[in-house]
Amino acid sequence: MNPVPALRFVVRVALQNIVRNRGIAFASLLTVTLTLLGAGAAVGVVFALDKVLQQEESQASVLKVFMADHISFASALNLEHTLASEPSVQSASFENKDQAAAQASSTLGLGGALHILETSGGGNPLPASINLHLKNIAAVTAINNQVSTSDLLFPGPHQTDYNKDVIPRVEHYILAAQLGGAILVAVVGAVALVIITISVRTAAFVRRQEIEIMKLVGATDWFVRWPFILEGLILGVISALLASGVLLGVGVAFGSGGSLALGVGVQLAVLISLGLILGGAVLGSFGSLVGIRRSLAT
Amino acid sequence: MSISTSPAPPRPQVAETTRPVRHEPPIIVFQNVSKTYHNGAAAIRDVSFTIPPRDFVFVVGASGAGKSTIIRLLIREETATKGHVLVEGQDLARLRRRHLPRLRRKMGIVFQDFKLLPNLTVAQNVAFAIQVTDPGRSHLKEKVGEALYIVGLEDKLNTFPTELSGGEQQRVAIARALVHRPRIFLADEPTGNLDPDAGWGIVQLLLQINHRGATVVMATHNREVVDLCRRRVLAMEGGCLIRDEQEGQYLKDGEANL
Ligand SMILES: Nc1ncnc2c1ncn2[C@@H]1O[C@H](COP(=O)(O)OP(=O)(O)OP(=O)(O)O)[C@@H](O)[C@H]1O
Ligand SMILES: [Mg+2]
Repeated sequence: MNPVPALRFVVRVALQNIVRNRGIAFASLLTVTLTLLGAGAAVGVVFALDKVLQQEESQASVLKVFMADHISFASALNLEHTLASEPSVQSASFENKDQAAAQASSTLGLGGALHILETSGGGNPLPASINLHLKNIAAVTAINNQVSTSDLLFPGPHQTDYNKDVIPRVEHYILAAQLGGAILVAVVGAVALVIITISVRTAAFVRRQEIEIMKLVGATDWFVRWPFILEGLILGVISALLASGVLLGVGVAFGSGGSLALGVGVQLAVLISLGLILGGAVLGSFGSLVGIRRSLAT
Repeated sequence: MSISTSPAPPRPQVAETTRPVRHEPPIIVFQNVSKTYHNGAAAIRDVSFTIPPRDFVFVVGASGAGKSTIIRLLIREETATKGHVLVEGQDLARLRRRHLPRLRRKMGIVFQDFKLLPNLTVAQNVAFAIQVTDPGRSHLKEKVGEALYIVGLEDKLNTFPTELSGGEQQRVAIARALVHRPRIFLADEPTGNLDPDAGWGIVQLLLQINHRGATVVMATHNREVVDLCRRRVLAMEGGCLIRDEQEGQYLKDGEANL
């Protein structure tokens, strides 16, 4: 079989199918686009949550042990030294009140408020602290208990910024996003699949006379199938391009700097788009295969 | 697509009688074939016959006698419930689905309703059979022109089926069935929708195709045609083969009128 004219035939029939049955073709386009939009958005959200989790995890391995104002610099340094020699501690560093204020101004934007407090004689309210970098997060609880309950060199308890709830909470959100995304994609995907199947079945019904003649004169099953598979494939890929376009548009509109909305990088955006195109192609061609099956039964 | 008339061989004369070659192995064999449809209707029962290459056979019988069932078994649209149907020695029950196209390409098949595609021209309808089986085959126009020349429609290439008479439409269907140069030509009531003159023209054409070397099986109720042609007749009644005669008639004298 010569591939070029065969391809020409297949492409012509597929395009005619879409144009002739444009109503149902449009419906499949819409539902597949929705499915893929859902899938793409879910991937973006899960990615963003995952990044939050990573940040929390890296921050969680930092434990701030706050110093009351009456503790002398020497005692504090002594404590820092003691803590640094703990096996689970990677490093320890002393942060004085001024450094804490500078940090708060730059990351929390509290510079103005602190300035007003200081100039009005209220002084700097932020405590000095010893910041511990732990080797792993699992050790945070143990060290926290040790530091906050025991009297190391001078009377405790010492306050820390330990918050044991953050990580499980973020993990919980990620699970919810993954689950919600999966359910959404499964439901809308099933609907999209059904509509593509109906679309191809309609096209096959419109062409039943042609299919009958093709079989009669000895066309192979695959030759009968290909135009319909291509039809589904075209619808699926166009939907994927639409979905990618919308997602990229939204991402760029709400993004900032070098990344899109939710902090999605360009590389991930391209990856998501490629994934959507693959998904659209699979949805489209699988739906077509199901749709054309009945017409091929002898 | 437009196809210009190509120089074609001289039109063959209307067939004189060609004798089938009986020392060659039969091209079609029915061996105790029964067919019961899904709804339990026994369409044919224990039917046996053989057809040698280049034979011309009428299958006759009243409505519901099982004529179309025989054709459908031959093109393997249906499979026998019991017994064996062999085409060129091959048992069709054992034919794999992927080899079905090869069987169909050996056969020219026409029906009472011509099964032409209304939105294609005459030439496109004929070309369709080649495009969907052997796309890119060279000399497409010549092959289409030749087939249409044989059926006498070489001047209607760009006409649409709806602009043709019934007889002409059936000729287009025959031309389409001829493009693969079939060794077996099957016609189920090809004259059923035609007036006697047009019908007779179609029968002449089938005789000519037979004369060119194809085995022809034609199912029909048309008694004048059968009686005039003096060819082999397989007579069906209630699903049973009741007569098989060389140079037979639709009904023998003394049999009940249908
Ligand atoms: N697809 C089918 N399903 C069920 N029963 C069928 C089917 N096709 C035919 N039959 C039955 O099988 C019997 C033989 O049918 P068949 O079509 O072979 O007859 P025929 O001789 O061609 O009749 P006609 O002259 O009316 O075309 C009939 O009783 C018919 O009702
Ligand atoms: Mg019939």
